[in-house]
Amino acid sequence: MLYALMGLGLSLITGVLNIPNFAHGALFAVGAYFLVSVVGLLGNFWLGLLIAPIGVAILGLLIEFAGIRRLYAAGHDYQLLFTFGLALILNELIIVIWGPVGISHLPPAILRGGVDLGFTFYPKYRLFVMAMAGLLVVATWLFLEKTRYGAIMRAGIENKEMVSLLGIDIHKLFTLAFALGAYLAGIAGALTAPIRGLSPGMGVDMLGIAFVVVALGGLGNLLGAIAAGLIIGIAQAVVAAYWTEASTAVIFAVMAAVLLVRPQGLFGIR
Amino acid sequence: MRALTLLIAAIVLLPLAVRPAIASEIWIFAIFGLGLNLLLGYTGLLSFGQSTFFGSAAYVAGYLLKYYAIGIPLALGVGAGIGALSALLVGYLCVQRSGLYFIMLTFALNQLFYFIAYQWTSVTGGEDGMPGIPRPALFGVDLRDALHYYVLVSALFLLALWLMKRIVESPLGSILQAIRENEVRADALGYNAPRFRLAAFVIGGAFSGAAGVLYAMLFGIVPLEAIGFVFSGNVVFATLIGGSGSLYGPIIGSFVFIWLSESMSVMWARWPLLLGVAFVIVVLFFRGGVVEAWSRIWRFSKRTA
Amino acid sequence: MKRREILKIGAAAALGFPAIVRAQPKEVVMLGLWDQTGAFADVGPLNDRGMRMALEERGMKILGRPIKYITRDGATQAGTSTRRAEEAIDGEGARFMIGPWSSGVALAVSEVAKRKKVLHFFSGGTEDISGARCHRYSFQWAASPYTAAKTVVDNFMKANPKAKRWHLLVADYAFGWSVEKYIKEVGKTHGLEFVGADRHPLGEREFSNYVQKAAANKPDVVAMINFGGDAVAGAREIFNFGLTPKIPLIMSWSSGVEELIQLSPEIRENMWVGTNFYYTVDTPVAKAFVKNYRAKFGTPPGYAPSAAYSMTRLMLAGFDKAKSTEVQDVIKALEGIDVNDLLGKMHVDAATHQTLRPYFFLRCKTKSQMKEELDLATVIATGDTPLPKEYAACKDIGGF
Repeated sequence: MLYALMGLGLSLITGVLNIPNFAHGALFAVGAYFLVSVVGLLGNFWLGLLIAPIGVAILGLLIEFAGIRRLYAAGHDYQLLFTFGLALILNELIIVIWGPVGISHLPPAILRGGVDLGFTFYPKYRLFVMAMAGLLVVATWLFLEKTRYGAIMRAGIENKEMVSLLGIDIHKLFTLAFALGAYLAGIAGALTAPIRGLSPGMGVDMLGIAFVVVALGGLGNLLGAIAAGLIIGIAQAVVAAYWTEASTAVIFAVMAAVLLVRPQGLFGIR
Repeated sequence: MRALTLLIAAIVLLPLAVRPAIASEIWIFAIFGLGLNLLLGYTGLLSFGQSTFFGSAAYVAGYLLKYYAIGIPLALGVGAGIGALSALLVGYLCVQRSGLYFIMLTFALNQLFYFIAYQWTSVTGGEDGMPGIPRPALFGVDLRDALHYYVLVSALFLLALWLMKRIVESPLGSILQAIRENEVRADALGYNAPRFRLAAFVIGGAFSGAAGVLYAMLFGIVPLEAIGFVFSGNVVFATLIGGSGSLYGPIIGSFVFIWLSESMSVMWARWPLLLGVAFVIVVLFFRGGVVEAWSRIWRFSKRTA
Repeated sequence: MKRREILKIGAAAALGFPAIVRAQPKEVVMLGLWDQTGAFADVGPLNDRGMRMALEERGMKILGRPIKYITRDGATQAGTSTRRAEEAIDGEGARFMIGPWSSGVALAVSEVAKRKKVLHFFSGGTEDISGARCHRYSFQWAASPYTAAKTVVDNFMKANPKAKRWHLLVADYAFGWSVEKYIKEVGKTHGLEFVGADRHPLGEREFSNYVQKAAANKPDVVAMINFGGDAVAGAREIFNFGLTPKIPLIMSWSSGVEELIQLSPEIRENMWVGTNFYYTVDTPVAKAFVKNYRAKFGTPPGYAPSAAYSMTRLMLAGFDKAKSTEVQDVIKALEGIDVNDLLGKMHVDAATHQTLRPYFFLRCKTKSQMKEELDLATVIATGDTPLPKEYAACKDIGGF
């Protein structure tokens, strides 16, 4: 579920802005750390969950405004260099501000402990995360499918020139898309914090997985990203039951296999 | 010829300025960069997974060096061969795509190789890496002396540079650049773009593989990082910073990058922050990398002279 | 072309470091290879404390010569650690090296020690440093994984004779493999059944899959062979999924205090811990060390700083015995040395460079049993059975 969230955010950014956002993992990590800080300040997990991703979205706005804006015509190598440099900066800033040591963050009291589901005993918090992530994915999808802004965004993925010809400010669109993508990454990070604990490098693995999800789902296909995220998540859980060590490698293997047969991804149209 | 003389001067002077081990590392990284730049600068392909070839070659050659006591020429041959072979594999999957897809694919396949290397602990040592890589003697010269090894490395670098120069100035080189400029046109002229891209991949992979073997012998270990995406990123950045538009760009980039990382890392643990800032600055202001920055300063000073 | 050429000269010249600052000939340079980043980022600063304390006790001098103590961040990676170690040896003249913390990285660093002929002291769970990869320059401080396994398994079984079905969760690198091997060996003598053994990467934080797999095997006990952040995350997940405290959880090679304080008392219930050092150990040196450490840093020391402290002291004892600061003299002095130090009687085996000393087995206290916040566990047993000759993989420690 989290994978779907990350994939969706990245797909949005890569689809609308057509840039490889290598800072997506770092935004994920920032979301987690923001959560810890907000909870530390305000003492309430729910407030933290509300505020932290907004913080990341604002960060995303700033990044888009200050940097990415200038790079749309620049070519992928420079966009990559920029976002990767950004990822480095964010990573190091996290270490500077919060220290290099891993932090543990416990879930809020109501969500601690587990639930006896009969066939297995499952922690309450994980169930919450699944539900929450699912909700967010649905909400985002509804936004994209049913609202005007969403339609504009999807149109922007299909054909940027057309959209700007129709009189819509393409720059606002890009900024919004980036901020939304950042928000999704941030909230994914905030949700994950109590599960995995935090460490400065936590975004790195997520970045790889997010890219796989996007590639698998088909570049620019938002629904595809959601589906791919779910598929990857399930595949990983299944493999983990039999061959735990390979559970991360399998993600990439699946992607390679699919792309060999269908280069445009499972649902890609281009 | 002027460039060559200056390069030779640099090669001779460098060990006086830094430890021979760092000097060797610079030239090895430059070879790595040359391989990448054939793809990046000349063919317009941002391969974000070059460490796949670098690392695979290092592991295979390292394994043979360690357990089968092969000699250096064979090790280098194996390295280039494995580099080329893995590039063939990866390239085949990737050249059909372009743009973002291409970048993401190279990245994801790099991760796949990384995890294979990570899991296959019986062969690669996994997390611990493959230590104990020897440096056999060559023509009776003991290469365990850092300076002797440096001589070998710099000689091989010059060879690599010469080879790359020949390649880019050959018809193949022109075709690759044509494909970069305007693929449709190149296609119309009868050049099968994917096939030539694949060729670029393989050649770039061979260079990367050779660099990988030299790296393994330099440090006596094949660390897991050598096949990781950070390494892939490093060579891309070094090349871009040096300037991907020129043959010598990767060399300058290697200098800057290795020097920065070696000296900064001892002084400040958070030096990657500066590195990230450097990337951002380069992208926003100095697209052509150091080469462009320099030429701008040069032009400016000429005007005010 | 002209620009490029000048640029290249410039680059070469710019690389001219100022004259490399070499240690004065009188100084003895000691390197602490401690990780500040990477999987063991939290351990590095603790190691540094221990080593520094031991050196400062001597007034930063040994045999009348000043000691220069330098540290390098190995980043918990083999490549980075070997490079930085070499740089310290070549550039700063370091001849005595302690660290790193990760066993896998240590194997690589050990090779550097051999090549550069510097004394290398290490504490970790891999048996290879004093086993298959032994050589004259490296020394192992931690108990042999065999000793650890025997102490843990024997004493656990004494308290829980019916717990025959074991599930193992192992960190997937040198340390994990060594300890796993011996737990299984010793387990055989108790008739244990190992219903599962899963390996996880170093630095893993997502343990849900592993825990669910463990639960599916319905073990009587889960034994973790991992360390630091991994152990903490694993213990927490095992608790979250309801496995403990119903069944006992063993941390076979723990850092003691440092890990335990990160867990809540509920998680620690029914936890059994094997460790190289626990702060309630009753020796004069330990008592003084714990007192000073607590005064300086507020918490009692765990395995990490104590190991660094003890290794430094042991090394300095070697200097004292050899009455020389030459690497080879100190090595010869260390071989066979007997000290009464942090852990009580300690002896360095000349043939394998393995330190023979006690290993500790603890049982964690429940909340009601804890008299104060840091009263986490009781030492219920110690073991110091050395590795039997038939397992010894170090056949010939070699020469200089």
